[in-house]
Amino acid sequence: MLGGGTEALTRFANNEITQNVAERRYLLSVRVVQGKRTGRATGNDLSRAGIARLIEQASDATRLQPEIADLLPLPGPQEYRAVDALDPETEALGAEVRAREVGRAVDRCREAGLEGAGIYEVRAGTIGDYGEIGALALANSRGLFAYHIGTSATFRVSALDGTASGWAGHESHRARDISGEALSARAVEKALRSRGPKPWAPGRYAVVLEPAAVADLIQDMSWISFGALLVQEGRSFLSGKIGHKVMGENITLRDDPFHPLQRGSPFDAEGMPTRPTTIIERGIAKSAVYDRQTAAKEGRESTGHGLPVPNTYGPMARHLVLEGGEGSVDDLVRKVDRGLLVTRVWYTNVVDPKTVTLTGMTRDGLFAIEGGKVTHAVRNFRFNQSVVQMLNGVGGMSSQERSGGVVCPGLLVRDFHMSSATEF
Amino acid sequence: MNELARLALDTAAARGAEYADARAIEFTREDIQVKNGEVGGLDLSGSSGLGVRVLVGGAWGFAASDDLTKEGVETCAAQAVAIGRASASLKHENVRLAPEPAHHAVWASECAIDPFRIPLERKLDLLFRIDAEMRAVKGVKNAESFLSFQRKHQVFLSTEGSDIDQTLTRSGGGYTATAVSADDVQRRSFPQAEGYHQALGYEFIESIPFVANARRIAEESVALLTAAQCPAGEHDIILEGSQLALQIHESVGHPTELDRVLGMEANYAGTSFLTLEKQGKLGFGSKHVNLVADATLPHALATFGFDDDGVEAQRWHIVKDGLFVGYLTSRELAHRVGDSRSRGCVRSDGWHHIPMIRMVNLSLMPGRGSLEDLLHDTDRGILMETNRSWSIDQLRYNFQFKTELAWEIRKGKRTRLLKNPTYQGITTQFWNSCDFICGPEEWKPWGVTNCGKGQPGQVAEITHGTAPARFRKIQVGAGYEA
Repeated sequence: MLGGGTEALTRFANNEITQNVAERRYLLSVRVVQGKRTGRATGNDLSRAGIARLIEQASDATRLQPEIADLLPLPGPQEYRAVDALDPETEALGAEVRAREVGRAVDRCREAGLEGAGIYEVRAGTIGDYGEIGALALANSRGLFAYHIGTSATFRVSALDGTASGWAGHESHRARDISGEALSARAVEKALRSRGPKPWAPGRYAVVLEPAAVADLIQDMSWISFGALLVQEGRSFLSGKIGHKVMGENITLRDDPFHPLQRGSPFDAEGMPTRPTTIIERGIAKSAVYDRQTAAKEGRESTGHGLPVPNTYGPMARHLVLEGGEGSVDDLVRKVDRGLLVTRVWYTNVVDPKTVTLTGMTRDGLFAIEGGKVTHAVRNFRFNQSVVQMLNGVGGMSSQERSGGVVCPGLLVRDFHMSSATEF
Repeated sequence: MNELARLALDTAAARGAEYADARAIEFTREDIQVKNGEVGGLDLSGSSGLGVRVLVGGAWGFAASDDLTKEGVETCAAQAVAIGRASASLKHENVRLAPEPAHHAVWASECAIDPFRIPLERKLDLLFRIDAEMRAVKGVKNAESFLSFQRKHQVFLSTEGSDIDQTLTRSGGGYTATAVSADDVQRRSFPQAEGYHQALGYEFIESIPFVANARRIAEESVALLTAAQCPAGEHDIILEGSQLALQIHESVGHPTELDRVLGMEANYAGTSFLTLEKQGKLGFGSKHVNLVADATLPHALATFGFDDDGVEAQRWHIVKDGLFVGYLTSRELAHRVGDSRSRGCVRSDGWHHIPMIRMVNLSLMPGRGSLEDLLHDTDRGILMETNRSWSIDQLRYNFQFKTELAWEIRKGKRTRLLKNPTYQGITTQFWNSCDFICGPEEWKPWGVTNCGKGQPGQVAEITHGTAPARFRKIQVGAGYEA
């Protein structure tokens, strides 16, 4: 497996560029399979000698270990649907262009008397958020060959006035879809409205979650719920519930790399074609996502969601798409007599895996909704909320956006549990 | 490596850099996992590369490459300069670096037994023995264990004349037993969540009673399924050392990073409630609370000879007798708190990422007495052990943690096992409620190996030394209210 590529990121804060970086990095990972044994070695010396050394290391590791009873042989050749995800203009975008776009965003903050902070990032290839590297090309001795390259551009901006802040972000495979200036204008508008927040008592509220907030909650739910190994081991809320109604009838959730806002890789780390997979359909649990190992256990085919083999985590959904509605977030706000508008959430973590209860904070714009209108800023809350329960009571959806790799709408939900207050 | 770094500096200087440093790094790692009687993962990985950081027109540029040919290094250095020029187009003032002498040094962490020379069979044998102990307990769904070894060899050269060669070896391991019922998932980990690591060789692995504790840990995971729910409400709590380590990490370490305080992380991790005017004035904790930053702590994960600014390792108080007194600083930002020298807190997680302020080892100094003394002093309370989840707001006020298990304490005794313990608080209120910290005999250097910060994201490893401590009238039970 060969992975890597280039990444460049301009970071700004206090209305100036503070960090500005570029990296070029590739990794080759060689896996050896001998009967029921397998081992792996990974390195970035791509010379002939370097590759030979990796093969030797992987072979040595393979020889020395006990057999894995249900280890599968390597897969043979597969067919893949092409995904148009490479934008040469984005791949070539230089530091000067990023600085100009950042400059326009900063100007909007400065004009409003606010401090702007954020990032403009472009990537080509498979370097992940924390430097992890995914598969760019896969080949094996049984004739499998897979290759996919995509680009991504991400702009995120916060506008700050002390502890009052607003935020906006956009991501696409094309840099030209991004306007730092327009995003900054949104963040500024939020920040100005965030001044002078009033303390509300903790409790259960009707809440409008903007798409960025929904994306974080759905992503966390996915990590602890949708992989077939989690379901098979009884650790997921879907364990024993496939075919049952688990959420409201207005919830349909898929994993789909071919969605125009996703444009993900058409294959997984085993080289299997990734199939669009419906996880929840009109509130009914339809399927987990599978790799070859978990699929074999149930006598079915992989959905192409595997990680590098062997691993202890099992398959993972990577291109989540939650179906949405037609209107805007403002349309959802109009439906609420008394409640809260949440711009985004922060530092979410799992409290209880079987109920998918998450905790986290509201951030960068929490507002009161009274009589269908946003009336004033509210001090931020910590929440403790079951996402499954939340998706059982969705009273409205906006149109979809992509945020943090998840395509989803904003949601109007009832009885969202804001459990404690903070100081700002 | 030295020649490559020198070439990068020469190229950067020739292209107009006012300052440049280059880090050439060779990184080696071995990860072995066993799950339910089989090898779950086995990867020997390595990478080499070069990161070049420059100041051009008073602004930073950084580029990194794995192309270590002459042409590749020159291209990388030239790219760093070009990026620096772009940064200079949007700056307020020139970056000013606090003075630091040029250092010529070779430093290495202690490593009596090279973990990369220990045969794989021996490592697997240990993991399979742990695995068998855990799976001998009825009701254990998953037994997962791992060993992890890492070596980083780094050459740091700067245009100020520093030439520093450092090698850090760290070893670690741990395991988790998971028990599952129709509506519950419980787990227990040893020695702490996410494993236990130190900057030592294989001798560290041999010093830990991994196998001896495996059955107890597995039994506890199963017992938790039928244990009583930890009661919600206001309680006196006692935190075991590894949970307290994460409490320090999140509520003391991150808010004292000066780049956060000054807004440089505002869009991502956030800022900090510990604004500059609070230094020397804020009563951060009770008089029992002394927190010391220490990049010289033996065998600790964030111990080094010199940081990635080329600054020598130091030790200083962050909180002294309850008073907030110190920040984690860099050469770039030291002057913002009136310091003439950086505290030496700049690190990067590899050649491919820019150095930035990262926590050094940050420890709670011990008080007096054993854990049994502390329990004996507690009429009613809850003892919480081993982290399970964590969350804190972007200014680091409101936190919530969950631990794997708790014990009800009545009249100084552990009376009942409790499941799903959570606690929540506001940082300074919490530390001011601390009224008992156990003594040196209970003090241990715990580790955090998954500390995320920055964009692109970087992962740092840090040791936090702690002894169990008691906190009065803490809110318990969030997420599990009746």
